[in-house]
Amino acid sequence: MTMGRMMEVADNPEGTSIKLTPEQARARRARSIAIALALASFALVIFAVTIVRLGSAALTGPDYMRPVEPK
Amino acid sequence: MSVTVAHAEPSIAGVGDYIELMKPRVMSLVVFTALVGLIVAPVPMHPVMAFTALLCIAVGAGAAGALNMWYDADIDARMARTAGRPIPRGRVMPGEVAGFGFTLAVFSVVSLGLLVNVLAAALLAFTIFFYVVIYTIWLKRSTPQNIVIGGAAGALPPVIGWAAATGSLALEPLVLFLIVFLWTPPHFWALSLYRTDDYARAGVPMLPVVAGAAETRRQIFRYTLVLTPVGVAPWLLGYTGAVYGITAALAGAAMIALAIRVRGETRGHAACKQMFGFSILYLFLLFAMLLVDRMSEGLFGHFAA
Repeated sequence: MTMGRMMEVADNPEGTSIKLTPEQARARRARSIAIALALASFALVIFAVTIVRLGSAALTGPDYMRPVEPK
Repeated sequence: MSVTVAHAEPSIAGVGDYIELMKPRVMSLVVFTALVGLIVAPVPMHPVMAFTALLCIAVGAGAAGALNMWYDADIDARMARTAGRPIPRGRVMPGEVAGFGFTLAVFSVVSLGLLVNVLAAALLAFTIFFYVVIYTIWLKRSTPQNIVIGGAAGALPPVIGWAAATGSLALEPLVLFLIVFLWTPPHFWALSLYRTDDYARAGVPMLPVVAGAAETRRQIFRYTLVLTPVGVAPWLLGYTGAVYGITAALAGAAMIALAIRVRGETRGHAACKQMFGFSILYLFLLFAMLLVDRMSEGLFGHFAA
């Protein structure tokens, strides 16, 4: 039994699964793609802001990890 | 034991319906005025940070729009102007819209706070709260002053933009706030004069419904008289150059001329429609000139130095 089929059975133990009409399936696919794109864009924004805010410190790490210069 | 569960019909809502819920036209004005607030601020902002701030403000405005459509679905269904919105049309369930709006509101505020600064995030949260709770839930159905007080929500974006750039507040963004705040009543009352039947049918106590058309026309004229000098104020206070001042004065004169026509109109709504259309151009012109002025280093130059 595939994972998808197992989830379907778990959701509908009496086997009364909802059959999507082609219009409903299309709409759900479009919504799913939009959510994926929104999440990917959000991750990109977080990444870009992190680079901008940390600047070169993003590469060198925080101060306490740097070797102590001999005086 | 068998339990019968009623399934809601699977949704047919498309991406376009969700975009419509975010009121893209209102959002574009919010983003534009916030951008101006951000640009005229004396602290230059990194383009990535500016983009992030505007994105958060845009999503916050969209969240407020969606929550407004969720709460006002009953009113929207009874008004010709709004009957085609996603909830009255049956495209999206009210609960889905509430969840969508609330999620976006939390995301936008938290992101703005973590990525930009806490003051801007607090102002964005207050704006969403003011628009949804104070205006939509409370004032809109209870007083003809609804859009006067509620206008504060639409006037805050330039202040949020300024706060995003500087992390503080000053008099300059408050002048921008005042311009949008005083612009809102003549703008919306001009619209409500030729949509009075719609508002009356929906039970919304807009000024023309409660006080009549003649009183609304007088109020439009009075507010326009107060608005136009405030529109010129950024120049009078020395924040901008003469190009802005002259543009604001000329556009203000046109607003007053239209308001006089609206006040004297006894039949039809031609002047009201003109006033509504021109008021959008007026606000756009003022804020665009602020941008132009800043770009040419005329605006706030001595503060930045």
